[in-house]
Amino acid sequence: MQSNSMDAVNLVQAKSEAVQAYMMHHVMDSPTWAWLPSFHMAVPFGLKVHAVMMLAVALLLIVVLGRLGRRKQAVPTGLLNAVEFFAKYIRDEMVVPFLGEKDGHKMAPMFCTLFFFILIMNLAGLIPCLYTATSNLGVTAALASITLGFMIFGAMYRNGVVAFFKGFAPPGIPGPMLIMIVPIEIISMFIRAMALAIRLFANMLAGHLVIYSLLGMIVMFGFYAAPALLGALGIYLLEVFVSFLQAYIFTLLSAIFIGERYHPAH
Amino acid sequence: MLTGSVAGIGAGLVAIGAGLGIGWVGASAVGAIARQPEMTAKIQVTMLIVAALVEGTALFCAVICLLGK
Repeated sequence: MQSNSMDAVNLVQAKSEAVQAYMMHHVMDSPTWAWLPSFHMAVPFGLKVHAVMMLAVALLLIVVLGRLGRRKQAVPTGLLNAVEFFAKYIRDEMVVPFLGEKDGHKMAPMFCTLFFFILIMNLAGLIPCLYTATSNLGVTAALASITLGFMIFGAMYRNGVVAFFKGFAPPGIPGPMLIMIVPIEIISMFIRAMALAIRLFANMLAGHLVIYSLLGMIVMFGFYAAPALLGALGIYLLEVFVSFLQAYIFTLLSAIFIGERYHPAH
Repeated sequence: MLTGSVAGIGAGLVAIGAGLGIGWVGASAVGAIARQPEMTAKIQVTMLIVAALVEGTALFCAVICLLGK
């Protein structure tokens, strides 16, 4: 009797370890693409899975958005209508309020690129058999470095190196406090960029881990885990919303941070 | 006896923090919308932004808990 229940507990524990191994293998970068549990394919050219997803999404966006942008109609229809809705919202509500008219119109394509790239990478990860490139800290760190590059080198190019460093001192602060505030401001600039990367990475990773854990309950507990399917479906729908939200937040915060460095002392 | 790791307790505390934070933001947003219904769109957008920031903080710590385990 006692050994029976210990056997059951050990069995569930062994299954949970197997589920954890499956989760880790499917969420991390790997040189084999697991189309099906029985069909693993080696990724060519020495790439890994997330890099292939990035390339595929970039190619898809270049082809589709390029062809859409070349349509010569005054009134957009169909997919172009949807894309223009997002692009107009990004330019008018997210970029221009923080970067001003001139800079805003010049930098709007950059933010549109960031937004659509992150959005389609997030959504592509929700398709079965495909991987989420943004659930890789390297990918999100690269995207955040684009923002950091604009924050540092873009502001230096636009305002000059001296004005860039002067922009760290908020106006109307007495001298002794400046010695404390300027290093904090400089460090906070780097920390904000790092937070951009980690926020996107953690949101995408956590969503997929929760779905895998709920579905793993089926392996661990069998038929009794049927309600977990409803939970997994609910989290899956939430993930679609979170994909849009995280792309929006990344682009918005990038616009705010770059605007702070381009137009300091406000 | 307790099995598992202390990182699980940490993750639970993170969940409490995130729930409280986002709940507070939501309550303020609902109160503001009740006072000025014509500003609903702006308030909703601000609420979403702040909720995403609070959730970002919570998820940093969740990732640390995952690493610590």
